[in-house]
Amino acid sequence: MRSLAINGVTKSFGQQSVLQGVDLVVPDGSFTAILGASGSGKTTLLRIVAGFERPDRGEVWLGDELVDDAGSRYMPCERRRIGYVPQEGALFPHLSVGRNVGFGLSRHDARRTRVDELLEMVGLGGYRRRYPHQLSGGQQQRVALARALAIEPEVVLLDEPFSSLDAALRASVRSDVLAVLRQAGTTSVLVTHDQDEALSMADQVAVLRDGVVAQLDTPAGLYGHPGDAGVAQFLGEANLIEGEIRDGIATTILGRLPVGSWSGPSGPARVMVRPEQIELGEVGEGIDGIVDSYEYYGHDAIVCVRLERMGVPEPGIPELVVRITGGQPLVPGLRVGLSVRGPVVAWPAGPGGAENSPE
Amino acid sequence: MRRAWLDRHHRPGGHRSIGLTVVAVLVSAVVLVPIVFLVVQAVQVGWAELRHLLFRHLTAVLVWNTVSLVVVVTAICAVIGTLAAWFVERTDVPGRRWFAVLVVIPLGIPDFVVSFGWRAIFPSIGGFWAAVLIMSLAVYPLVFLPVAASLRSADSAQEEVARSLGLGRIRTFWTVTVGQARVAILGGAILVGLVVLAEFGAFEILGYQTLTTEIYNEFQVGFNEPAACALSLILVFLGALLLASEDVVRGRGRTARLGAGAAQAAKRISLGRARPAALAGLALLVVLALGVPVGAIIYLIVHGGHSTLPPASLWIATGNTFAYAAAAGVVATIAALPIALLSVRFARPGVLALERVNMLVLAVPGLVVALSLTYLTEHFLQGRFYLTDPLLVLCYSIMFFPLAIVAVRAAIARAPAGLEEVGRSLGVHRHAVTWRVTVPLVAPGLAAAFALVFLETATELTATLVLHPTNVETLATQFWAYQANLSYSQAAPYALVMVLIAAVPGYVLGRWFDRQPERRAAQANVAPGSVQPALVAA
Repeated sequence: MRSLAINGVTKSFGQQSVLQGVDLVVPDGSFTAILGASGSGKTTLLRIVAGFERPDRGEVWLGDELVDDAGSRYMPCERRRIGYVPQEGALFPHLSVGRNVGFGLSRHDARRTRVDELLEMVGLGGYRRRYPHQLSGGQQQRVALARALAIEPEVVLLDEPFSSLDAALRASVRSDVLAVLRQAGTTSVLVTHDQDEALSMADQVAVLRDGVVAQLDTPAGLYGHPGDAGVAQFLGEANLIEGEIRDGIATTILGRLPVGSWSGPSGPARVMVRPEQIELGEVGEGIDGIVDSYEYYGHDAIVCVRLERMGVPEPGIPELVVRITGGQPLVPGLRVGLSVRGPVVAWPAGPGGAENSPE
Repeated sequence: MRRAWLDRHHRPGGHRSIGLTVVAVLVSAVVLVPIVFLVVQAVQVGWAELRHLLFRHLTAVLVWNTVSLVVVVTAICAVIGTLAAWFVERTDVPGRRWFAVLVVIPLGIPDFVVSFGWRAIFPSIGGFWAAVLIMSLAVYPLVFLPVAASLRSADSAQEEVARSLGLGRIRTFWTVTVGQARVAILGGAILVGLVVLAEFGAFEILGYQTLTTEIYNEFQVGFNEPAACALSLILVFLGALLLASEDVVRGRGRTARLGAGAAQAAKRISLGRARPAALAGLALLVVLALGVPVGAIIYLIVHGGHSTLPPASLWIATGNTFAYAAAAGVVATIAALPIALLSVRFARPGVLALERVNMLVLAVPGLVVALSLTYLTEHFLQGRFYLTDPLLVLCYSIMFFPLAIVAVRAAIARAPAGLEEVGRSLGVHRHAVTWRVTVPLVAPGLAAAFALVFLETATELTATLVLHPTNVETLATQFWAYQANLSYSQAAPYALVMVLIAAVPGYVLGRWFDRQPERRAAQANVAPGSVQPALVAA
């Protein structure tokens, strides 16, 4: 297995600049997700790594081998040993499942047994003679994975492989694929716009925004310590409120909240509180609020709460989003008390720095 | 060793399309030769003479004869085709599977053979209404095929919603069912109009004078080139008008389903007591459109009083027809490749415009293409190539080029570029991927494109009469010579061979086009439907 490194890659199509200097290192054997909104250039980046497109500038390294330097060095895609699993699988419609999987194998490679092994690995033993149109979407996706793994690739690239599957199927195919890739131990790169997918599958997540990597971190690091408000909002729900920071404590409308890590100077700041950090209690416990809406999801529920002071809604404060574990429905109009648990994240309040969402 | 894979000149994507574009533009230039030389000829004739030729009583009569026939035949075909399609696809009329086959076969029988068959049985038949009857019977499948395909793929949930909103059965039929099939009906109707405009043989047999028959007579009999040119201008203008009207009538609404979710398979309507009447109607249609011409030919052969052994010239003519048809099929299919490749793989506004320009040929009747090529060889090539095999094959290839483009494009759409990329990422070389993925996926569609042009060429009459080399006879020219002498029983074997060549494989081909997309729609993204709607949608 080899690591993958991308240095300062840029790419434009005509007038449209898609990638503006992407740097990314994917360690040997790790699973990295590239997370970005549609149109953020994540598929283009993947296609450059695979060798289907060439960058305008920058370098692509596979292990210690420079495979593309945007100039004279270019290794054609068929020599890179990069397994590619495209959207919707892209199985060869005229070939049986077995021939699809064996496409990249030479005749000497004991094709038959190897193919059966691979199909067994993705849970499709006995499907060798079927044709792609006889398979469900999830099965097609797993055949595409087996086909990519057949050539014992150094790196596997997955281009939104689960987006065409329905929600129920997605979760199971996702975990199957992850298990197969872990077993094979390949370096994997997944491109997705689904933050749940990125957070749940990857060892590290790169947020791609405006053609650059906005942040690269572990899923927990990214969710707990987003680099700016835009990244925070892109990775799940976030309540953003104004605050004043002094000695590691943010003074906000929700009270005095400890800030997890703060290196900036004292002064005005933008503070993020995750919905699950807010606890609801009886009126009088903490800050007063009034329930505006309640959406029940089974495993948890989302409550929108308006802050009020002396029975009057606080002006200029957006509704707070609170996540609670299921339980009793809360009727709109109910008065509650809010308190914040754990340290919060804050950034210096700068002009324009906050509304920088990746969308 | 390390440098072995370095490839300085290879850049994936993008640049490959430049060479392709150059070839596509050159091909388009050749295809547009007839239109260009029609204009050149008109300029040489001069405005004064053109005006003299255009504004005379004969022109008015011809335009009236032609336009009234186009309007009436188109309307009748739209009604017959739509009703037949609805009965076959959406009701429980008995024997609907058989009718689905029998009702389509007349499309493969050349129009002049239908005309010939009726004339053989009813020698006194002629005039406007005879022309209406025969053309309607010969070309209504052009409406039937796309409408049947559209009704088959339409979502019957929409009809149920209409009923739930309080619309009655008949209003639902009009607003929803006919509404869903609207594009298909109009597309088919426009093709009917174009075919009637271009038809020569059927009207000549019936003694009904249209622009096309008069152009032929001015040119072949009267050697009056300026008159033929002037009338051709009108004919092409009418054709262009029809072609352009397609954009206008199609409107902006979408007829497809919006949104995801599986379409509900159409439910059949129970006809109840109307079943015998529907059965009788379809049976009558099959008898008139298929039974009369085929029956007449077989009767003439059996009771012709001639030797039952086919004449040697029948085999020679069949061989010549096959040779021309095969040559035209190969040339048109190969010539269509660059344009189809561009439009599928590198769709840009310029490319799509190029493709549309080629579709203009649809508005130019085969006779005009032949005349224009004659003019070109006479005035610019000192008569070289005139009445030679290459010029005739070129003429066929130009005439049926739009057909080839549509079929080849459908073929190429079956092998998206993404599949080639995946193949290469699996460590297989570019050329090997082409051979193992692209060729197997594209080949059946290319074969179908070849077959389409082949069948059209094999039954072509008008351009063949103008351009065939003097000593080379084809099935169509031999048939024409015999029937012109009123030697009907001698003409009949040639008609029968043409029917066999065209009708049987034509039907198989139609079903193939119809079924292919359903099987592989998920992978290939080919819209369902038969050749005809695709042709008009282009």
